[in-house]
Amino acid sequence: MVSKNVTLVNAQGFHMRPASVFATAMGKYASSVTIKFNGNNYNAKSLLNIIAACIKCGSTIELVCDGPDENEALAEGVQMIESGLGE
Amino acid sequence: MLKGIGASDGIGIGHVLLIVEPSLHYTPTTVTDVDAELTRYRSAVEQFCDNTTAQAESIRRSTGDKEAEILEGHIAIIRDPFMGGEIEKLIQAQQCAEAAVEQICQMFIDMFSSTGDDLTMQRAADLRDIKDGLLSILLGVQEVKISDAPAGTILVCKELTPSMTAGIKKENIVGIVTETGSQTSHSAILARALEIPAVLSISGAVNQLSSGELVIVDGKAGCVVTAPSPEEVETYRNKREAFLRERRELEAYRGKKTVDADGTAYELVCNIGTPKDAHQAMEADGEGVGLFRTEFLFMDRDRLPTEDEQFEAYKQASLILKGKPLIIRTLDIGGDKDIPYLGLAKEENPFMGFRAIRYCLKNRDLFKSQIKAILRASAFGDIRIMFPLITAVEELRAGKSLVEEVKANLRTSHISFDENIKVGVMTETAASGVIADLLAKEADFFSIGTNDLTGYTMAADRGNRDVSYLYSPLQPSVLRMIRRIITCAAEAGIPVGMCGEAAANPMIIPLLLSFGLTEFSVSAPSVLKVRKNIAKWTKAEADAITEKVMAMTTESEITAYLTSVIG
Repeated sequence: MVSKNVTLVNAQGFHMRPASVFATAMGKYASSVTIKFNGNNYNAKSLLNIIAACIKCGSTIELVCDGPDENEALAEGVQMIESGLGE
Repeated sequence: MLKGIGASDGIGIGHVLLIVEPSLHYTPTTVTDVDAELTRYRSAVEQFCDNTTAQAESIRRSTGDKEAEILEGHIAIIRDPFMGGEIEKLIQAQQCAEAAVEQICQMFIDMFSSTGDDLTMQRAADLRDIKDGLLSILLGVQEVKISDAPAGTILVCKELTPSMTAGIKKENIVGIVTETGSQTSHSAILARALEIPAVLSISGAVNQLSSGELVIVDGKAGCVVTAPSPEEVETYRNKREAFLRERRELEAYRGKKTVDADGTAYELVCNIGTPKDAHQAMEADGEGVGLFRTEFLFMDRDRLPTEDEQFEAYKQASLILKGKPLIIRTLDIGGDKDIPYLGLAKEENPFMGFRAIRYCLKNRDLFKSQIKAILRASAFGDIRIMFPLITAVEELRAGKSLVEEVKANLRTSHISFDENIKVGVMTETAASGVIADLLAKEADFFSIGTNDLTGYTMAADRGNRDVSYLYSPLQPSVLRMIRRIITCAAEAGIPVGMCGEAAANPMIIPLLLSFGLTEFSVSAPSVLKVRKNIAKWTKAEADAITEKVMAMTTESEITAYLTSVIG
């Protein structure tokens, strides 16, 4: 299991479009991908779960990947969030 | 006549088309052939995606990308592996597809609705839409096709859903009436984007109106005229013509710079009361916000807002404005604005009492938390601070030194903010007008609040019928006060705006141009009108009128003269 803390930089936070882009990208991996935020766990492969987390710009989340390709999944996930999720 | 909320301006005369949601009732059954039920569910999903893709294409052509994206989001949601997985689990547990879809969608609707976050709560509406769309397909229910509505149709429905709006043809739908919604709801924004007159929030509209009946939708007054007489139809037809003519004229000013006839540029910004209003300012083509009243954060609750709550609100408004200027006025309570939990004492003379900056300077913790929230938000846009009700230079100094104190705290804790944040004065008291020369040396900008300035200069309450005749910004005393404030600002080389009602008054605009006002802050619906009014005047023409006005002795003389030349 690997994990890293990362801060959201895109203005609107994890709303519809970024959540959708992120969930689709994470869906490619065999590993489980979890967002830990405010004491809750959210399945990062589900855009509905991500939206339900209400994560705003400036919030820090912990991205946790667990499985055969966990390092690749974590690297891509962190890179996407840090680069503003395409916004 | 039915009363509601006018959400999209204009008059629509036409025949009602009731959109009654088809019954999506079903009897839950226990499934024996699980594989067949899974296939039935999956093909319903495929059909839903096909329908939605087609709708998105059609709405992209008629309305634009943004609305089409909402529908494409529906496809992303229904393809969500988690949601699909949960639905299929229920089917595998022998539930019928309808029940499985309903339960899982409802779970997310409840989850989203309970977050209290605007953007997330809007997603609940999408899920409702998806749930109904899927159930309609599974149950084989035909949906009413809005795209087939004939010309001259007034849509009447409970709530305008994104999939409904996809079918709207602008040339055929002349009005929209709904039972729910507000000025800022999705239906309202869409109706305005399509320029279709809309009245929202008429409870029971669907039961009170019937398909085929002739009605008039008045999107300005926020009412629906039922069974109109031929005379009423005629009157509204004329109103409609006049409205469309004016709209065409005003639309010519959208996206243009605010300039007078000589080409001199002015700032034209909006007054807002909540972060969401910033959307309306942007929609109205405002160039920023000249007055953000912060009282909303403190009212209708039972305790003070936290610094974080305030920070979120200021940041939100600033982000909506995308870098355009945002002037935040610090708390202006007292006077007629009471906040019960602050326990302010009843006063003999509240307008001359313990209010606004006076209250804030005595309650430093409250004031500092507001200033800190504003400063933190200043890292996200062009934010400025404005103090209300300044009457003496010491008050401005005290406010500014608190700003410096908070800045120092933020620096120590490595929190970013705008080091060069501008701090200005709302000149709205007779005292601030008289000492405008002194204030201008220490303030970064002025904004003239003509509503209070008129009241304080004339010592007249406009709500009191016996003295309200004195309350007019065209009183020679008030005009002299305004001229003095503007002149002092110009001499000190600082910008000077106006955020009172007078800034949008066509009779006063030439005077303000001549005095040298640099910024007009008006309500969102007035933006294009004011831009048009400013464009009418050359400096020489405005000066000529102003010279005559300032030589006159009485308010009635001035009003008569301005009415005759401007009307």
